[in-house]
Amino acid sequence: MSDINFIPEPEEPIPSLSVSNNQGILQWISSVDHKQIGIMYLWLSVLFLVIAGIEILLVRLQLAIPNNHFLAPEVYNQLFTMHGTTMIFFVAMPAIFGFTTYLVPLMIGANDMAFPRLNAFSFWTTFFGGSLLYFSFLAGGAPDAGWFNYAPLNEYNYSSSPGIDYYCSGLLFAGIGTLTASVNFIVTILHYRVLPMSLKQLPLFVWMILINSFLVLAAFPSLNAALAMLLLDRQLHAHFFSAAGGGSAILWQHLFWLFGHPEVYIVILPIFGIFSEVFPVFSRKPIFGYGMVVGSGVAIALLAFGVWIHHMFATGLGNTVNSFFAASSLLIGIPTGVKIFNWLATMHGGAIRFSVSMLFAIAFLIEFTIGGLSGISFAIVPIDWQLTDTYYVVAHLHFVFIGGTLFGLLSGLFYWFPKMSGRLPDPRLSKWFFWLFVAGFNITFLVQHALGAMGMPRRVYTYPDLPGWGILNLISTIGAFLMAGSVGLLVFILVRAIKKGAVASPDAWDANTLEWTTSSPPGLKNFDRVIPVKSTRPFRDYKRPEDADWNRPEGARKHEGKYIPQNNPHGK
Amino acid sequence: MENKLMVKLVVGTEAMFFLALIMAYIYFSLLPGFTSRQADHLDIRSTAIFSAFLFSSSFTFWRAETNFKKGKMTRLKGWLLLTLALGLVFLVGQGTEYARLLKENVSISSSLFGTSFFTLTGFHGLHVLVGLVVISIVTTLTFMGDYDRSSSSVFGTVGIYWHFVDIVWLFVFSIVYVLPHLHKITT
Amino acid sequence: MPDLFLLNISASSIFDAASPEAASIRQLTFEFIIAASAVLLLVVILTSYITVKYRSKHRHEDPKQITGNRALEIWMVSVPLALVILFLFRSLATMNAILPDRGNHTPDIIITGHQWFWEASYPGTTVTTANEIHLPTGKRILMLLNAADVIHDWWVPALGPKMDMIPGMNNYLWLTINQPGIYDGACSEFCGQQHAWMRIRVIAQLQPDYERWLSEQTTNTHIPQDTMAKAGAILFLESTCSSCHRLKGTAAAGITGPDLTHFGSRQTMLTGMMANDSGNVARWLSDPQAVKPGAHMPRFIFAKDSIRALTAYLEQLK
Ligand code: HEA
Ligand code: HEA
Ligand code: HEC
Ligand code: CUA
Ligand SMILES: [Cu+2]
Repeated sequence: MSDINFIPEPEEPIPSLSVSNNQGILQWISSVDHKQIGIMYLWLSVLFLVIAGIEILLVRLQLAIPNNHFLAPEVYNQLFTMHGTTMIFFVAMPAIFGFTTYLVPLMIGANDMAFPRLNAFSFWTTFFGGSLLYFSFLAGGAPDAGWFNYAPLNEYNYSSSPGIDYYCSGLLFAGIGTLTASVNFIVTILHYRVLPMSLKQLPLFVWMILINSFLVLAAFPSLNAALAMLLLDRQLHAHFFSAAGGGSAILWQHLFWLFGHPEVYIVILPIFGIFSEVFPVFSRKPIFGYGMVVGSGVAIALLAFGVWIHHMFATGLGNTVNSFFAASSLLIGIPTGVKIFNWLATMHGGAIRFSVSMLFAIAFLIEFTIGGLSGISFAIVPIDWQLTDTYYVVAHLHFVFIGGTLFGLLSGLFYWFPKMSGRLPDPRLSKWFFWLFVAGFNITFLVQHALGAMGMPRRVYTYPDLPGWGILNLISTIGAFLMAGSVGLLVFILVRAIKKGAVASPDAWDANTLEWTTSSPPGLKNFDRVIPVKSTRPFRDYKRPEDADWNRPEGARKHEGKYIPQNNPHGK
Repeated sequence: MENKLMVKLVVGTEAMFFLALIMAYIYFSLLPGFTSRQADHLDIRSTAIFSAFLFSSSFTFWRAETNFKKGKMTRLKGWLLLTLALGLVFLVGQGTEYARLLKENVSISSSLFGTSFFTLTGFHGLHVLVGLVVISIVTTLTFMGDYDRSSSSVFGTVGIYWHFVDIVWLFVFSIVYVLPHLHKITT
Repeated sequence: MPDLFLLNISASSIFDAASPEAASIRQLTFEFIIAASAVLLLVVILTSYITVKYRSKHRHEDPKQITGNRALEIWMVSVPLALVILFLFRSLATMNAILPDRGNHTPDIIITGHQWFWEASYPGTTVTTANEIHLPTGKRILMLLNAADVIHDWWVPALGPKMDMIPGMNNYLWLTINQPGIYDGACSEFCGQQHAWMRIRVIAQLQPDYERWLSEQTTNTHIPQDTMAKAGAILFLESTCSSCHRLKGTAAAGITGPDLTHFGSRQTMLTGMMANDSGNVARWLSDPQAVKPGAHMPRFIFAKDSIRALTAYLEQLK
């Protein structure tokens, strides 16, 4: 047993989850505790999920019937732009960072992040960025050029309201928060593991975060540079992206997608990590092919920088360029497929328990495969030449974002909620939520594949009454409202569970990793002592010493002599 | 240790940021008319001189670091002050160059050359400024005796950043000044 | 809004291929659908089988702890790899067939995207027109695509690939239309407020019909006959209309709005938003922003008869 007490810690005690009167909101605002900051990230994400969801409900209402006049075009354009931007930067990212901030120290047996104050800084910068983005509604109009904000439509000549300036500055702030958070994660993971934990014994979630943080550090600067240039264009009349001034509209696309493509993997890699925790626990088996899961994560991260042009197949870059990026985009399906099959093999021969968390994981396998395969169809360039910028793309991106990212976040939420709150959500209502959400999701987005193939472009505020278009759009709108209902139910379930849910045991699921060895919710100091770490499943080893991983013949072979001594966190 | 790693990561991501700016600069510099404007307006000689000041400030900071490790506090203070002075000369040099260009009506909005030149060198200058502010804080603290006999990592970490800023300038200087100059000489 | 005028449009999904380009993409799409269905089916079957078969029965007995299997891992990589290589080659072949090098061909038609209308001109002739694009069938034509303001995108699903129209850049597309007909499409890159109403109407004609149309278009704007239209013509030239619109053979030579030389011969107006009839034209002229909010045509305060005169003039510009 090893003792750890070297982490900088906040002064005030902060034991439980709710913002109740005896703690006070000030205490949350001033907190530097990784668990509280993680939870604030998560609430921020829920708040923005509801906002971005309501925005798109208005959009879906407008699209429910052909030639509708419910929304004016300029309002419609602001709504879908804000929906996409918010969902990516202020729902998916904060949710992932919330789980990361909360869980990484716990999973590696540390008491806090490497830099707790920097951690708070990251959160508040993200928060500020989001507020700035939304302030645009009051300041004369939200951004209205889509989430990827193509030049020259984003230039002052074509969008003179200040919306896009807020887009730039809001995303710059959020971007800085994201970068500092990633630096913090890397340092924490590399320097603050409990002493005998080697990299080969890292929980897979932590592995994916490690990879992901490097991905962030490499990808976000490109966005920041593009945003800075755009601000210079708009405010100081520079000429980066305006064809009229000699600049290049296509340069924006290169810089944006050089960030944008890695970004979509940034919001999926941590999810792969979450599922790599969930599948083994609820199958009562170790992950199948630990090395392959890590290796394919690295492969995805590397390939992510070599595919950005697949968002620009129709910009006329020529067949040679396009072929190269077609090849890399097709290849990226292979490491992803490896993961899917690894999870299937993990379940195979296991003893599967259908918790809500596991239900989302199982549903994910199918929904994400649908989304991934439609992604592959774009990588076949001629098919993309037909389908790019249609509702088929909208279907693809929601199948990967919702069927992938959101399902993963929800799976993680139901898995770690008992740890974070010490309470159990109502199991019956939670299952209702699962089925409603999955049904609503499929109803909303399956039909959009057809709409795209039938010729409906995306980002249109209305459409003519062509055969089939009206009815399919109506179905999609109905599905969206089903999803809205289920999201409402989720908020209800969570709030009720926090208030008066059944008390959860510290090890609610008979799990494998260190975060379950401490109390639920963990005290201010995460651990007094940490159990020995000799394999990827230290807690299981501890609970079943006779069947411990490191004790088994093949397990022993795998892990023998691989205890890379960890760096001393004190420097010398 | 962890402070050093943090700064290395920050420097890594900053490097990507400059890579994006430099790539944009090169992209535009391939367009017709760009190089001639560049050669017309830039004076490689004066810039080379104030660049030399920046490069030598890396050397002086390195001297400061080694003296700190050896515990020679008086020398440390001297080298720090020298570093500050050299960095300041660079910024003043850049300032006068900007003033001259603006007088010649080359500004960020005048042409594509102005746009990319001021953005690239401006962001670099901003980084020099940040470095100077940090170094002056560290210098003040040194004079106040905060680092006597402590095994602080602050000089190591600030050093990483300061050397990085220098290396970036090496690239910027070569691409913005030296290459077009060579091009002019050979053609 | 009356959609009667849309009735004679050929259906325009990506599966209604009306050109060899579209047909070869359709073929590739079918192959993809088959392969993708197989992969999806495999995942669905494995998932259902495993979840049903291995659901937990005994709470506290752990199953056998298997951590990996080399052979299976090799299969996981090699089968997808084979599929990927197959589709890479299929897609390269199709790309090169659809969009071969342009060589030194001159384009047969130049289409320029504007916020929010299409300008078309026919090199080698004096013809310029807008919004309804006439093309010959049975002939391989080269289109030059560019844009005047922001990025637009040319897409007629039945005719094959789309192509972005980027300001400051020239993009090219090859196209062979099999059958005469009217093909519906839409601008497929978000281009601002009225991106939704930037629909495309391609009118494909047999070569002789097309030539006849082309020669009609080379003529100047008709000189109005009746008094009403005459009054309209004078209004048109004297108000600012002429600074934005062109009427070939008159002083009106503006280029920021669609060419109106033969406006009366078009079936639709405002890029497929509505039928071209006097009611709609009058509505448009009396308040453009109410009809198509954001359109770059200002509102003029006209008396009722001025509008009637302008409408009469525009409608007889066959
Ligand atoms: C979480 C986010 C996420 C993820 C994971 C992906 C995954 C993939 N995406 Fe997607 N993509 C987006 C988010 C995402 N995408 C978004 C947001 C857009 C639109 C942006 C916008 O325009 O607004 C987009 C758009 C987009 C385009 C551009 C479309 C266009 O606008 O024209 C392309 C083109 O190639 C593409 C490709 C792919 C590919 C090849 C994958 C692959 O990684 C998928 C891999 C997965 C599988 C293939 C399934 C599992 C594998 C198997 C079961 C094994 C068998 C498989 C094979 C034999 C191949 N995506
Ligand atoms: C993580 C990413 C994410 C998520 C989760 C979603 C979720 C949804 N998206 Fe989104 N979407 C994007 C990312 C995402 N989207 C992106 C990137 C774009 C592209 C934007 C662009 O083109 O620029 C896009 C675009 C987009 C379009 C295309 C618009 C267009 O092109 O014109 C549509 C249309 O149907 C759509 C629909 C939906 C729907 C119905 C949901 C639903 O799942 C939403 C469900 C959630 C709610 C409805 C929450 C509401 C909750 C309540 C009301 C509860 C009650 C309140 C309390 C209890 C307090 N989305
Ligand atoms: C400032 C420029 C401008 C002026 C002045 C202007 N127009 Fe227009 N006009 C446009 C633009 C731009 C469009 C295309 C609108 C769209 O579809 O988005 C247009 C469209 C039209 C159309 C429909 C064309 C079609 O093919 O669908 C008609 C008819 C028309 N204008 C007539 C007139 C008349 C008559 C006047 C004068 C009273 C006039 N315009 C003045 C810019 C102008
Ligand atoms: Cu033009 Cu969209
Ligand atoms: Cu991508």
